[in-house]
Amino acid sequence: MAAHPSVVKTDAATFEVVKNSLYAVAEEMKVVLAKTAYSPILKVAGDYSCGVFDDRGNMVAQGPDLPIHLGSMPDAVRAVVRAWEDIEPGDVFVHNDPYFGGSHLPDVNVVSPAFVDGALLGFCCVRAHWPDIGSATPGSYGAVTDVYGEGLRLPPVRIHRGGAVNRDVEDMIFANVRTPAERRGDLRAQIAANRRACERLAALAGKYGTDNLKRIMQEVMDYSEAMMRALLRDIPDGEGAFEDFCDGDGIVAPGSNRDETFDIRLRITKQGDGVTVDFEGSDAQVAGPMNAPLSVTSSGVFAGLKMAMDSAGVVPPNSGAWRPVKVVAPEGSVVNAQYPAPVVYANHEMSHRICDMVFGALAAIIPDRVMACSQGTSAVLTLGGTDYRTDEHYVSYETVKGGFGARPDRDGISAVASGISNTMNTPVEVIEMSFPVRVESYELLPDSGGAGRWRGGLGARRTWRILERDSRATVCCERTKSAPFGIEGGAAGAPARISVVDAHGAERVLNSKGAFDAPAGALVVFDVPGSGGYGPPADRDPARLGEDLADGYVTPEGARRDYAAADPDALLAAANGRDAAV
Amino acid sequence: MGWRIGVDIGGTFTDVAVLDEESGRAGIAKVLTTPRDFGAAVIDGIGAAMGEYGIDPASVSLVSHATTIVTNALLEGKGADVALITTEGFRDVLELRRSARADLYDLFQNAPAVLVPRRRRFEVAERIDAQGEVVAPLDEAGLDTVVERIRGLDVEAVAVCLVFSFLNDAHERRVGERLRAALPGLPVFLSSEVLPEIREFERTSTTAVCAYVGPVLASYLDRLEAALAELRLPSLYVMGSNGGVFDVPEALKMPAGAVESGPAAGVIAAQRMGRQLGRANLISFDMGGTTAKASLIEDGRIETTSEYEVGGEGNVGRWLHGTGHPIRVPVIDLAEVSAGGGSIAWLDPGGALRVGPQSAGAEPGPACYGQGGTRPTVTDANVVLGYLSRTHLLGGRLPIDAAASEAAIREHVADPLGLDVAEAAAGIVRVVNNSMAEALRIVSVERGHDAREFSLAAFGGAGPVHAAALAEELGIAEVIVPPIPGGFSALGLVATDLRRDYAHTFYARIDDVDLDALNRRLAELEAAARTMLENAGLPEADRSIERSADCRYTRQAYELTVPLGEGRVTRALLEALADGFHDRHLRTYGHKNPDEAVQMVNVRVTATGRLPGVEFHADVEDGAASAGEREREVVFGERVRCPVVARGELPAGAEGRPGPFIVEEMDCTIAVPPGWRARRDERGFILMTRSA
Repeated sequence: MAAHPSVVKTDAATFEVVKNSLYAVAEEMKVVLAKTAYSPILKVAGDYSCGVFDDRGNMVAQGPDLPIHLGSMPDAVRAVVRAWEDIEPGDVFVHNDPYFGGSHLPDVNVVSPAFVDGALLGFCCVRAHWPDIGSATPGSYGAVTDVYGEGLRLPPVRIHRGGAVNRDVEDMIFANVRTPAERRGDLRAQIAANRRACERLAALAGKYGTDNLKRIMQEVMDYSEAMMRALLRDIPDGEGAFEDFCDGDGIVAPGSNRDETFDIRLRITKQGDGVTVDFEGSDAQVAGPMNAPLSVTSSGVFAGLKMAMDSAGVVPPNSGAWRPVKVVAPEGSVVNAQYPAPVVYANHEMSHRICDMVFGALAAIIPDRVMACSQGTSAVLTLGGTDYRTDEHYVSYETVKGGFGARPDRDGISAVASGISNTMNTPVEVIEMSFPVRVESYELLPDSGGAGRWRGGLGARRTWRILERDSRATVCCERTKSAPFGIEGGAAGAPARISVVDAHGAERVLNSKGAFDAPAGALVVFDVPGSGGYGPPADRDPARLGEDLADGYVTPEGARRDYAAADPDALLAAANGRDAAV
Repeated sequence: MGWRIGVDIGGTFTDVAVLDEESGRAGIAKVLTTPRDFGAAVIDGIGAAMGEYGIDPASVSLVSHATTIVTNALLEGKGADVALITTEGFRDVLELRRSARADLYDLFQNAPAVLVPRRRRFEVAERIDAQGEVVAPLDEAGLDTVVERIRGLDVEAVAVCLVFSFLNDAHERRVGERLRAALPGLPVFLSSEVLPEIREFERTSTTAVCAYVGPVLASYLDRLEAALAELRLPSLYVMGSNGGVFDVPEALKMPAGAVESGPAAGVIAAQRMGRQLGRANLISFDMGGTTAKASLIEDGRIETTSEYEVGGEGNVGRWLHGTGHPIRVPVIDLAEVSAGGGSIAWLDPGGALRVGPQSAGAEPGPACYGQGGTRPTVTDANVVLGYLSRTHLLGGRLPIDAAASEAAIREHVADPLGLDVAEAAAGIVRVVNNSMAEALRIVSVERGHDAREFSLAAFGGAGPVHAAALAEELGIAEVIVPPIPGGFSALGLVATDLRRDYAHTFYARIDDVDLDALNRRLAELEAAARTMLENAGLPEADRSIERSADCRYTRQAYELTVPLGEGRVTRALLEALADGFHDRHLRTYGHKNPDEAVQMVNVRVTATGRLPGVEFHADVEDGAASAGEREREVVFGERVRCPVVARGELPAGAEGRPGPFIVEEMDCTIAVPPGWRARRDERGFILMTRSA
């Protein structure tokens, strides 16, 4: 560590000061967005990312946001740079096209150029998930077969021109989305976040000089690259492969009676200070919206690599960090989708999957720096209809969190966002105030953590009673069939399950993806997966198993079945004895 | 009239501030903190201060205390054994939290601690809906079973949080009655009493924190009160995180309100200083050995926030880290950064110069202390640059080894970067100043204030060295350094008022408020506030009650607190409230949406009992200090020879003394750069201004 790479020409103190300021800009954008946005998914759940970009669209600084956007945010700004040459101060661009720098249609990018004295410094971009972007289904999560069916598709267009609102575009957008007043508030919040960031960039240019600032922006990316290469050099060269299957794409093909599974394969080759992730052998793109554009696939790869390589968080996330990483995937495969394949589910379901698989493959090279499979799904439920209390339309979008994988030296974490995601749940009291449902339970699922020397995190159950009027719902989840895998001999976590119990108590188990009717009085029950265990269950410390029994994370039946415990009651009694002795 | 005594427990020292109400004379005594029994240092320190200033117990009018007991119990996991009762289906609300993880990429992060383990969490069947209606009655038989199981557990407190109890507390009150009847003497905390506000996790967390720390706080305060009684001192007041003090019974009703009161004291001290000097707009800047804290005082008012976590990795910067326990009580709004005199400078593998968050602390301390420290710190950089003495600190009590500073900086920073030692030291100071400037920005510019309209109040052992540079960074024209800057925070304890906050969720669109219901709710809160003030026995003229409301646009999630005028609430008053909200939104976020409906979420009532105002001053001897050098080389951009003077040598005239020069005193050093002038007022405050 003694030799310092010479990528940074600026003096060390100025570099550190400006680098910190650039990351502070991205963080401040996040504050403005969260505190002023209207829809719960943005303001409460935090499904958005903010970034500062150079004048060609490379990401210089990402806020403390979602790993899911690591790979695809730069494409969002590059798309604007490619599409327009006459970018002027006061312009604001909006777009969401997955085949033109977007990820899926609900993720709406707002991109603003930052100018000082007529010179372009770079760009600021807020990507935010809108709970609805049109299409036949409230929430825009229908199981359709092309991108046209997924909602309003926006190539990069100006929503502001020279500082004034471009009503032509605005009116067209708000005519095509549900609950337009709420969307208008979200868009305003995105623009306000960008405005704040552009002001701060201009102030930095004023202080350090435009040319210096632009040079340091490049150096910040070079710096991340150098740091990432140094970390890669520190681990052994090697190769690891992993394959897994997905539950389906939400489409039952003609002549079939079920949603068919499909396969993903990846091979990681690490050599020197670079790494290649090759998806050769993955299945062809599918009919339903489980197709990942390459930038979404890359996000999953980057998130997994960053956790394995840079757990301590020394590499600032930006475009430079990923220069040592090569992602290769066959064109037209499910991990490199081609127009006009539908994509909406893949954005999180495929990037979750790929992130977990990266750990599975890296286990062959660095088993002490990987985790078992996490929940592997964003577990989305949307509900839509009219509220009996107000007669107003509503669309609710919730994600439910399951287990975070077991680690080489500790248990997994229960019911917390993992991998590419870090959104929050919406408080039950806020949900019920906002939408005509009653959440009847929100609780941990005993025995759902994969058994192992280190136990997987528990999954959770959330249930919604539909009140007074029928609701049109959609679900999007994974790992109903493919349970989250364990690692180094650990057992899999419990799979997902979603069902509707009607007012008479009859239960119908649903497919993992697609729209369904939830009639008034019905109860929607969503069990989200636990995570895999690490190491053989036989190696579990009996005292820890006893504690798990005392807290009901593991039941006596589960202890016998999953850990071959001969006498769970004795373990429980010992745990209670310790408790009393403290 | 008599003396007031305030005690602030710090990591190394317990500071005791004394204030003579009549003359305003202030003083500080310091004793070593006693971590195994904090109360011992409190009593010792009070004894030392009374001895030093010749204070007779009979002349003491107020003893107030910023306790660290609550925070420590949470950080060390040493709170009470608690049982929790929730609505059926919600046993795990405390563990499920908000489901975001604290660190995005840390594979080895731990789950946040859960204050009440699952084995002691119980459900009762009952349900209130979003309109406050009972949709499932309380299952009394089931409750019996739960009460009996809790009896068998031998817990020290019980927390109760049922869904929507902030709209209708009937079930929670009933659970409370049954628990209190069946288990007499056991503290019971109901969420509808502690925090009647929306959001079940945050409400449960706040209630659980109260139950967890309540018994610990009670036993600590009991022992302390007994010891004070033996010294014939009056009964104790406790400083709250809101910056006010309240008596012990009030503290025990809401133990979470006594969190983090030490930093609050510093902000209060700055506020009082502003009042005394006629500066309504101040940014307080308190820099010690490991952290720097900034807070904003506008128009003489402190800002509080309800977004706070305790017992985790702190509230550094703009976001909660998700590692601690949220408590929704008003806490003085501070931005804190890991930057202090002891912060260590290092080069990361990418070649960037970093400062902190690791600190050399008191042991081994900076390299120049000669106590075994070999890594370069901010203090070492200040020694190399001549801001601090190259021979001694603390009035000669702490010898300084400047060669050790130079060696540490050369080895770890200068040589690897190919710089000379002074350039490297200047780099360290720039980096640490930038991170502190960020804290100042967070509380000012980011909240919509123009920093140039504020003065900077600089204190803490390390603050006044860096203050002028930070002021330049933010365009601030005046820096004020109080007397005894190193112990100034503790003065906030003796200069504050009685203050207690009451809040209740009142969920309605402003254009659709049930005025009678709102006025009833406010009347209840105001009655509670009046009772507190009456119990405190303050004259009517010194009592005041202020009202405010947390508002947002109907569909937003975060509220801004806006003052609500006096008297019975009318439509006109609500319109004024909405206007106030639009303006505040514009100022804070850069836009407002006046066509949209404004939602009221919580109403708040703050009761203040003003203690007699005091103008404080400290003894400053005119003329030069006895020991120390009279001149040294200091790097202000370039190396210049500067005079070194004592506070007493500064002129009182408006002209002041032009920089560059250094002011050295017992517990602090002040750097006055070129382009600045400094003078002293008659009470010992130093006022530094930038020349036009």
